[in-house]
Amino acid sequence: MSKVVTIVGVGALGSHLVQFLRSEDVAIRVIDFDRVEMKNTQSQFHGKPSVGKMKSNALQKSMNFLYGVKIDAKTNKLVGDNAEVLLQGDLIIDCVDNGEARQLIQKVVRDKGLPCLHGALAADGSFGRVIWDESFVIDSEAGAGAATCEDGEFLPFIAITSAYLARAAQLFLREERKVGFSISPTTVVSV
Amino acid sequence: MDELQNTEARVNVTYGGQNGDLPDPVFFDSNDGDVKGWITEAVRNGSIPGIPADAGADFTDFVVDRFAATEGRPYNLIQLRPKTPFGE
Repeated sequence: MSKVVTIVGVGALGSHLVQFLRSEDVAIRVIDFDRVEMKNTQSQFHGKPSVGKMKSNALQKSMNFLYGVKIDAKTNKLVGDNAEVLLQGDLIIDCVDNGEARQLIQKVVRDKGLPCLHGALAADGSFGRVIWDESFVIDSEAGAGAATCEDGEFLPFIAITSAYLARAAQLFLREERKVGFSISPTTVVSV
Repeated sequence: MDELQNTEARVNVTYGGQNGDLPDPVFFDSNDGDVKGWITEAVRNGSIPGIPADAGADFTDFVVDRFAATEGRPYNLIQLRPKTPFGE
């Protein structure tokens, strides 16, 4: 096992992504400072026994229990002081939910020349992006009252987008190809 | 759509969870305002296959992305899409 994949944010996209990458011959590191809430179990890979636990630790335990896959879990909040230390590996995958964290990730991966794949979802579950950092533009955040991906209605679409994230990562790790995808509920376009 | 010139692009839009292409290519360096205008008109008229006509279609808050041709996708692509602020 030589390659390391670091996934930042293991909520909707990130939690499903980890389990989709479980058969890859890579070491997986996950970073998330948040705790699992009951509402998260509607749309994320986290189950009810994980409610109240740190998402990264809960996912670590689930992956080991379900698949015997050991992952490295970090419970830090990514900030300027720790980002350079935490963001290491052969591939960084950004699955965070706020522009500030995305900007920090983008700065560090560009400074260090690390390959980085971003996953992003529209608030209403109508569009998903799997895009390499070279082409990634950070969108402004949704305003107050915007729909969120917490509702279980979007679970299938979240999982589809996570699967394409996993596929893009797989193509890079196995073939060093950088392929991105734009995903709508009816169509997938390679970008 | 016939084979595109390298100065042209296919225009793809996602709206209301549906996805489709403008029937005709545009210049790859068309400005964002023009692209949004053409798509707004096309969606309102129902002239994008796959997207039902919507007289109230509004793309003000949408984002224009541009992707140069690649080996796997041998044509330039302009994409109009909703903002995607969420991941987690």
